[in-house]
Amino acid sequence: MLVNTYSKRIFNIAYQFAGSYQEAEDLTQDIFLKLNNSLSKYDFKRNFSAWLFTLARNYLIDQYRRTKWEKQTRDDFNDHYLPSEAFENPEEGVVKEENKRTVWQGINNLTSEIRMAIILRDIQGKQYEEIAEIMSLPLGTVKSRINRGRLQLAKILKEKKERRNEM
Amino acid sequence: MKCERIEQLLSPYLEDELNPEEKGAVASHLKTCKKCSLLFSLIKETQESLADIPELEVSKNLLDRLYSIPREKKRFKLRLPNFDFLVRPSLQPALTVATIMLIMISFYFYGPNKSSIDKSISRQIHLGYSKIERLYAKAESFSASLGEHKDNILVSLKNIKLLGGNED
Repeated sequence: MLVNTYSKRIFNIAYQFAGSYQEAEDLTQDIFLKLNNSLSKYDFKRNFSAWLFTLARNYLIDQYRRTKWEKQTRDDFNDHYLPSEAFENPEEGVVKEENKRTVWQGINNLTSEIRMAIILRDIQGKQYEEIAEIMSLPLGTVKSRINRGRLQLAKILKEKKERRNEM
Repeated sequence: MKCERIEQLLSPYLEDELNPEEKGAVASHLKTCKKCSLLFSLIKETQESLADIPELEVSKNLLDRLYSIPREKKRFKLRLPNFDFLVRPSLQPALTVATIMLIMISFYFYGPNKSSIDKSISRQIHLGYSKIERLYAKAESFSASLGEHKDNILVSLKNIKLLGGNED
């Protein structure tokens, strides 16, 4: 059944994109409603996962543009993500957790298109070709957006580290 | 290469997607440029942090909402009455007449000559009415003339042998 197979992936993309748990649940429900109404339009020649992710991507970006989510904050990283298992070096573990929190919040500074590309590549681990299909963009554009997103996040991480060192 | 150009190549360098020439240029630049070298290590950290974000499980509440979607759709489905009887062969002449009538009515209401059609209909009605009046008048005069000749007719009828009448 579609819900069993795809709900987790769609919900996680929605949460990573929107940053709000409640919003992500509502968005996931909307995406499945949309899927239910659009199944008749599915072209069997296409990869179903890519088609579904395209539908989810379009819906998420449209909603983002329409509402700008009327807020600029994301849930705190540890609201729903548990801290990773203990590291051999506790200090390294603290830095990694701090980095994750910073990068998680930094996603909010990315434009919707770059944000989606970064989520699909670096969090979901998809291939560039698949991302290009999902986002209906040329491969080169996808790669350049991902590069820009990583640079933006890296610069945010740099600023955060500098501020931490100043304290 | 300038730092701006190197910045553009850091991601592909990290993913080993550069040609040997570009790869060599980036590697040698990173050895000498502290700024780009720091940025490269930050990109690596960023990528590692993103890859380390775990997948959340879907809550039971959301799953219930998702499973109920097809049911909701059914609940709101319009139940149209069954119009199968309309395709019965016995109704076809009636439907044909109704269709022709509707076409004529639509010509009357939406056609450009509505007033002339009105006039001709009214003329036809008046003509018909006057014909009936004339017929009625003729019938009256016929019954009046019948009254005048009633006695003669009765005598004639009585004299017909076939009906058993007398000669006188």
